[in-house]
Amino acid sequence: MILEFKDVTKSFGDKRVLRGISYKAESGKTFGLLGRNGAGKTTAIRILMNVFPCDGGEITIDGKPINYSEIKLGYLPEERGLYPRKKILEQLVYFAMLKGMDKKSAAAAAEFWLKKLDMYAYADKRLNTLSKGNQQKIQLITALCHDPAVIILDEPFSGLDPVNAATMKDVIKEQIALGKTVLFSSHQMSYIEEFCDSIAILNAGEIALYGDLREIKRNYPRNRLVISSENPEPIIRDFGESCVMNGKNSVTVKLKDPSEKQSVMRRIAENYDVDEVKVFEPSLNDIFVEYAGERE
Amino acid sequence: MKQFLNIFLFELKGYLKNKLFIGITIFLIIAMTVAVFIPNIIAAANSGSEDKKSAVMLISSEQPGVVQLAGQYFEEAFENYAVTPTDASVDEIKEKIIKGEAECAFVFDSLSSYTYYVKNLSLYDTNTAVADAVLTEVNRIFAMTASGLSPEQAQAIMSVQIESSVLPLGKNQMKNFLYTYIMIFALYMVILLYGQMVATNVAAEKSSRAMELLITSTKPVNLIFGKVLASCSAGFMQLVALFGSAVILFNINKQALGGNIIMQSIFGIPIGLLFYMLAFFVLGFLIYAFLYGALGSTTSKPEDVNTCIMPVTFLFIIAFFVVIFSMTSGNVDNMAMLICSYIPFTSPIAMFTRIAMSTVAWYEIFISIAILAASVVAVGFIAAKIYRAGVLLYGKRPKLGEILKTVFKKQGTK
Repeated sequence: MILEFKDVTKSFGDKRVLRGISYKAESGKTFGLLGRNGAGKTTAIRILMNVFPCDGGEITIDGKPINYSEIKLGYLPEERGLYPRKKILEQLVYFAMLKGMDKKSAAAAAEFWLKKLDMYAYADKRLNTLSKGNQQKIQLITALCHDPAVIILDEPFSGLDPVNAATMKDVIKEQIALGKTVLFSSHQMSYIEEFCDSIAILNAGEIALYGDLREIKRNYPRNRLVISSENPEPIIRDFGESCVMNGKNSVTVKLKDPSEKQSVMRRIAENYDVDEVKVFEPSLNDIFVEYAGERE
Repeated sequence: MKQFLNIFLFELKGYLKNKLFIGITIFLIIAMTVAVFIPNIIAAANSGSEDKKSAVMLISSEQPGVVQLAGQYFEEAFENYAVTPTDASVDEIKEKIIKGEAECAFVFDSLSSYTYYVKNLSLYDTNTAVADAVLTEVNRIFAMTASGLSPEQAQAIMSVQIESSVLPLGKNQMKNFLYTYIMIFALYMVILLYGQMVATNVAAEKSSRAMELLITSTKPVNLIFGKVLASCSAGFMQLVALFGSAVILFNINKQALGGNIIMQSIFGIPIGLLFYMLAFFVLGFLIYAFLYGALGSTTSKPEDVNTCIMPVTFLFIIAFFVVIFSMTSGNVDNMAMLICSYIPFTSPIAMFTRIAMSTVAWYEIFISIAILAASVVAVGFIAAKIYRAGVLLYGKRPKLGEILKTVFKKQGTK
């Protein structure tokens, strides 16, 4: 199954929130939707969830417009929320029924997930008696209980302790293995790197970067050298403007042409007192900062 | 439809499981039970003091014949007293009263002048008033016999009774005032209470962010219709429970209450009027609940709800007072009421009052209900649009104008 955004646009009043975004997400894989606050992620998710229609473009599944009575979507919102004063099982069943399940199978599914996540003992407790981590598990169940084909996880790991985060990871991995399409949105780049096969970075309503994560990294211009040195002063003096200090003992040198990489490395190693010279490998964090930052 | 039903049942269950809801209903039923049985309790208390009949009332006079004559009339007039003539002196009489041997005493100077002695003069002591009336009659009869009439003739003149009967050709406002008032007040309370609950519920869902899931699971129209109809049903159930137990209590206790004019008028509601009550209750409730729900959706915090719903509350309070003033003025067909009975926001109580207390043609009722019903549908869909725009807005509360702008703009582009 391929979920595709085709040139989707959306404006609220005079504000253009999405300016034509396109990307594809495949089943059995995880797609990362990145962007700073206000970049348009939530709007994109809400259009996908059919909360409001897009102004232009369309969202298709296997080339056909989404039939919301057939395709089930599961959503873990960034702003977590359930009824604080209602019993847990009761509201899980309610939300599953709103997603189209009948009462019996909704109750069975809710019990299955409560047991799976070690929460069955709390089934008759009110939500607000639970710790924050446990409340998030309940929230996760509302996203998965009705066995959706497309799962949207907005900041799934925020506020989880390492043990609960590990549980969450296992559940997500299991869902991916089941062939679900997972849309993943987070500011925690380590999780994106761990889960996502491809990403799109949204910036001010446009796709700033889109593609396979490994390819993005591989294709990232290898035109920078990172030099560790006890005494970086002479390097800074000689390389002038192409040189940026990273810290006390580290300097990045930007090359005019990536092909001169080896000659420059050799020159630095021979002429200066250095501990290490290597080609700069960007982390996803670096890529994010570069593409999601303020537009000039 | 299935989703609407799910939401409706979930919300209704929420009301019926709400301890406050149950508590208030039970409290009101208990309060009513106590109120209904108060006449019995008082009667029981009175029957306990039935021996009061032997409470002694002394009468004395230095004038000969006065005691004998007065005693004859007083015995008839003061059934609860043992009227006892005495020759004792005033001081002795006083002492007897203080000791409690007698409760009170009339000491006559003549048939038209007396002194009343009693230990403590209670607020409800009507003995002197009764005595005055009796003595006036006695004096008049004396005067008439003195001028030549026979005592029988005099008696006949004094006991002329006027017979009259009143036949209202329309409605009897004396009889229907009370139950109309009770029903309007019930409508007023239920609409304000439940309207506020709808608004608070919506705002609470926003602040707890349960809305994030709801809005991505179902259409806003389902949500607001489910909520409003659930609260309407809950309010209706509460009213039925209260009025139902009132009727049951009245029937259980009919003997003690049947003679009470107030109770008779309250429970003498014509069945036809109950159907109008039902129609105006449901429609009136819905139109306000939709407004309250829509307004509730524009706030993000439950504590902002009260200020937010104020305009609608004021609208309803004004309507209520127009009706109450018209009712107490005796003219429920005045111009304000005529206009109010066709405005959908006021017609539920205005038209209902006119039906109950005046004579209204069937087509007037029909037009009023038709306008109201059409407005309920229209307000419902506008409310759903406001709700849909409102639930996604967090932070600063938008102004009413801004909300309406988004609503009608959306309608335009659709």
